[in-house]
Amino acid sequence: MIAKKYIPHYMMVLPFMCLFAVFFLYPIASGFFYSFHDWNATTTVRFVGLDNYSRIIGSRDFNKAMWNLATYIFITVPLGIFVAFCLALLVDSFKGAWSNIFRSAFFMPVVLPAFLAATVWRWIYTPNFGLLNMMLGWFGLPSVNFLNDTGTMLYSLIAVDVWVSAGFNMVIILAGLKNIPKDVYEAARLDGASPLQQVRYVTIPMLYPVLFFVTTYGVISALQVFDVPWLLTGSSFASYGGRSNALLFPVMDMMGRGFGSLKFGQASAYGFILTAIIILFTAAMFVFRRKGYDQ
Amino acid sequence: MTIDAVAEAPASRSIALVISPWAVLKWIVAICVAIVAVFPIWWMINVVFSDPGTPVSLNPRLYPTSFSAGFGKIMMIMRETDYLKAYYVSIAYSLLTIVGVLLIGSMAAFEFALFNFPGKRLMFAVVMLSLMVPTAVSIIPTYLLTAELGWLNTMQGLVVPGLASAFGLFMLIQFMKTLPKEMLEAARLDGASHFQLYRYIALPLSKNALVTLAILTFMKTWGNFIWPLIVAPNPELYTVGQVVGLFNSPYSHQTVDVVMTANLLAALPPLIFFLIFQRKIVEGIAMSGTKG
Repeated sequence: MIAKKYIPHYMMVLPFMCLFAVFFLYPIASGFFYSFHDWNATTTVRFVGLDNYSRIIGSRDFNKAMWNLATYIFITVPLGIFVAFCLALLVDSFKGAWSNIFRSAFFMPVVLPAFLAATVWRWIYTPNFGLLNMMLGWFGLPSVNFLNDTGTMLYSLIAVDVWVSAGFNMVIILAGLKNIPKDVYEAARLDGASPLQQVRYVTIPMLYPVLFFVTTYGVISALQVFDVPWLLTGSSFASYGGRSNALLFPVMDMMGRGFGSLKFGQASAYGFILTAIIILFTAAMFVFRRKGYDQ
Repeated sequence: MTIDAVAEAPASRSIALVISPWAVLKWIVAICVAIVAVFPIWWMINVVFSDPGTPVSLNPRLYPTSFSAGFGKIMMIMRETDYLKAYYVSIAYSLLTIVGVLLIGSMAAFEFALFNFPGKRLMFAVVMLSLMVPTAVSIIPTYLLTAELGWLNTMQGLVVPGLASAFGLFMLIQFMKTLPKEMLEAARLDGASHFQLYRYIALPLSKNALVTLAILTFMKTWGNFIWPLIVAPNPELYTVGQVVGLFNSPYSHQTVDVVMTANLLAALPPLIFFLIFQRKIVEGIAMSGTKG
């Protein structure tokens, strides 16, 4: 028997593949099933076709959440990567121990669990006696209600987000910088390129794959943002999203529909809508990248 | 630029580092950013280690003022609240997840990286595809399945659904691909069984990758907020993340310094880990980025 020879191999992958099938493949399949049904965990499952999908897409909350998400991604991803890139160049320009010290310092926020970063920042943002408002006070500026003023809430979130993610992206970009051969810079310098031109014409093109990864990964995780806005707004399943839903995001909306109003069918459909967006986005990124190479 | 000038460039640059205005600016920026990055954590420590009752608003605590008061608050939280229990839950949750992820991940990675067998390509493709699927789509159906199994508010409910980590598998495969095949061949000729090859050759040689994965898994599990929130809503199984949420909620009736003590205690394990394993953490993240 040929198969017998392979038994030890299958035995070794069996635990992983079993758990993977049960806790990943099956849930996705069942979620797909629920997404076409009306079910609140107690009543019987009732087929409703595409009703869940159309209800979500037509809902006010969904539109608000998507609009928030678009604004958020459009600012936070480019800004976060720009900051991370500058930090990486900065760290890279130091030699020896200082390079390590600054890298560690910039990386520190990444180590904190996201839930903690959010709670600590909530205190920093507190009106009146919060750290940030106090500092505004030193300069004679009026106090800002960072987490309750619908005009600033989104930017307060973005600040926390950049604070958390910059160190993470910096480390990845730094690894990419280390892979650029030094003689390329040498050649550019001999050709009379200024430091800024070196960044523009050597560093950025050579870092293209890394920047591609960081952007794609950044957008995919930003699409699923949950912990930080949830905690910044002090949300619970009964009430979430902050004042007039200024910090409502799709995953929050999904979780609220699931665990707040027990509409598990709708919540499942929500997950698939998000996945569709992510897949479309990733595909677009890869097409874009292919084009970039062809030129 | 003359040849001489080029040859001297490194030397002159290190002198320039001390005097040129650019270098001064560079240092100022670096130090400012470092302060922004570290200050919230430092501030948290200072609020904890200060006498209770001093209003936080008057001085942005720049340094710790009273160590005894800080330890007093820590002891108080440990004695009078369920924080210690949450600590046990979080540690058990993290350790069990690490052991599970490493064990089943390394077994599968060993096969995927070093051997060929029918169906391997298909299995590998499906697992890698799952890396593209967002957690958002699977979390609610996984919760429903866990509920069906009767695992809500149990440790297995917290741990088991997260064990088949596609990310961990991918990382270990990347590493195990570099293991010397001759060594495995030699051991096999010496009569080692298939399992012995894994246990006595592949595992010890992959120690570096396993340690890195263990640390990253710890960071992720300790910081996991959403899964414990829905799967273990019973106070008996509150993780540190949920207890921190209680302390910080508007209804907690705790003073700022007590709340900050709770926050600091939650930050402590990952911060200590970071100080010890800094290089591994940074390398692990960089590796997942540059190879992915």
